[in-house]
Amino acid sequence: MDIAALEHLGFEIALGAYLISSILFILYFSTKKRRLAEMGFTLVGFGFAFQTLALAARWFYAGYPPWVNTYEVMSFFAWTIVGAYLILNVRSDYRSVGTLVAPIAFAMLGFASLQPANPSPLVPALQSVWLLIHVPIVILSYCAFFVAFIASVLYLFKDKKLSERRPVQEALQPRDSAANAARAVSSESIGVLDKFSLDQLDDLAYKSVAVGFPLLTIGIITGAIWAETAWGSYWSWDPKETWSLITWLVFLIYLHAKTQNWSSSLAAYIATFGFMSVICTFLGVGYVLPFLETYVSISTGLHEYVGGGVVAGTVFFFGILGFMILLLLATRKKPPRPSDAPPATASTEAAPVR
Amino acid sequence: MNFAIKLFTSTKFAVATMAVIILISAVGSFYPGGDAVFGSLPFLVLIGLLAVSTALCSLTRVVPLWRGVMHPPIEVSDEFVQKLPYNASISGVTVSQVKAHWKGYKWHEAKSPDTTFLFAQKGRIGRFGPHIAHFGALLLLLGVAVGAAYGYANPYNNKIAVIPEGGTLQVDGFALQLNGFNVSYYNTGAVQDYRATITLIDGNLVQTRDITVNGPLTYKGLTFYLYAYDSNGVMESGKASWVAFQIKSDAGVPLVYAGAVVTLVGIMISLYVSHKRIWVKWSNERILLGAISNKSSARFFRDIDSMRAKLEDYSQARD
Repeated sequence: MDIAALEHLGFEIALGAYLISSILFILYFSTKKRRLAEMGFTLVGFGFAFQTLALAARWFYAGYPPWVNTYEVMSFFAWTIVGAYLILNVRSDYRSVGTLVAPIAFAMLGFASLQPANPSPLVPALQSVWLLIHVPIVILSYCAFFVAFIASVLYLFKDKKLSERRPVQEALQPRDSAANAARAVSSESIGVLDKFSLDQLDDLAYKSVAVGFPLLTIGIITGAIWAETAWGSYWSWDPKETWSLITWLVFLIYLHAKTQNWSSSLAAYIATFGFMSVICTFLGVGYVLPFLETYVSISTGLHEYVGGGVVAGTVFFFGILGFMILLLLATRKKPPRPSDAPPATASTEAAPVR
Repeated sequence: MNFAIKLFTSTKFAVATMAVIILISAVGSFYPGGDAVFGSLPFLVLIGLLAVSTALCSLTRVVPLWRGVMHPPIEVSDEFVQKLPYNASISGVTVSQVKAHWKGYKWHEAKSPDTTFLFAQKGRIGRFGPHIAHFGALLLLLGVAVGAAYGYANPYNNKIAVIPEGGTLQVDGFALQLNGFNVSYYNTGAVQDYRATITLIDGNLVQTRDITVNGPLTYKGLTFYLYAYDSNGVMESGKASWVAFQIKSDAGVPLVYAGAVVTLVGIMISLYVSHKRIWVKWSNERILLGAISNKSSARFFRDIDSMRAKLEDYSQARD
């Protein structure tokens, strides 16, 4: 079997595995049956193994690392995200996060499969040792920021859940046996929201940023050195550069918020904005700006992974951004409704405690 | 004046400035070239404000921090130790036993008539990480300013020089002669490489060199980049009758790179090196033990606790 066919097969198997595991995780999400999540997790690992094979095969037969065109960069990015998920599950139990990770990995590979997959020989500007260093470091930083984003969103959801449950739960606990039974079941579940405390989620987000921030810094520095050799200037306010600086500044604010002990939910919001900025840097610069006639890229040929399928790319970009905004809106705490809150408290106060 | 310093040194002010820079940069990314926004006075003023705030933050904090870290309080009160995030007491162990068993720390000792104090710390540099990063960022900005000033003063900077095939470009003190230009192709017909061959002539020095997309030529502070070529000629006869080079002179680049690396090192130190401090106080046959760390302390406290358990076992075994 020739190596190109091997790559193709590995890619298809990974795509299928991520799809089936997405379905299993969604079933898990609605039924809370632990076995479904375990099966989904195993299948994600299976898909990861085949994706690794596909990337390695591609590197071998294309003759350049698999992070140059859209198809490759998307696949590689998805691979790092799934890898991070698997690694985090070695020492701790984050199985149920697969409910988010598996569909995202599937969507990224699905999007990659819509792109031209033929290896494109390297344009002159890309023939540099920096290609081997700059790109994977930047993608790894994005991956770390993705983990920080997920942890932050989970933090905000948990925070919301706690603030809504606290008064009601205490009031109902002694009387409502059905609610107690339901709670007993949920405490056995492997849902991250039940399993991890606010502090643990906050800590995971911080640690991810602590990994991602130096990586992004190295990514920007290597990018600047490369630009200096290839374009004659280490910084030209090219949109890619500008947006990477914006991302860097947002996470710099995050770190300052942390050292100043500002509230953890504020930090969680900052990390979420940081990952939105990552998405703008990664996709928006390539897909949205070309629509504005004024944009003239001096980086043509370098950050070309955003070529091909501009419409699909734009839909993908706004889809992700929209999804993130929806997630963020969903974490908003409901303001207490004055109409039903006071009588409820009054009646429970009057009830005898058994 | 006092108010100004307070304002500039506050983290809130720095964060607010960064937030405004973020917003302007986001808008500026939609403009071609970017100079209209990023070269504009308001933007430069914002960068300047951030630089002043960064400098003042470190200047006002580094000296007290240095004092606190280099001369920590050793003769501390019981309440001080008991208020530390980790604290415990052990009886039946002497200070010399603590020193003998607790390796890997350099213990400082102080004595008063009825009390002995021990203190040890590790990772002091961790506390200075942010200030190292601040210094690096300022160095980088200085490099940018130096580059802009010298570049502006250099008549060759940012000029495009067109050299005809076989022709010569005369620069201050040396000359470049264009020997040839070659475009190589992949099987697919896509361009694989652009390569200009030039001869550098400086008095007795005569050197032939290639200039490629990722391989500019730097000589005496001037860098020559491939910029354009006679594409019509290449298409028709495979030969370029002229090649254009962009000339750059940026004296600030070494400073910019040095600043960037110092910033990176500072960031990594502040993120990864934790400052750990341990106080031991012996009085009335009893040891008070306390510890604090400025970073994730779970593992550090676990280590201390296992040491405490070990010392306790030792004292019991002896009993």
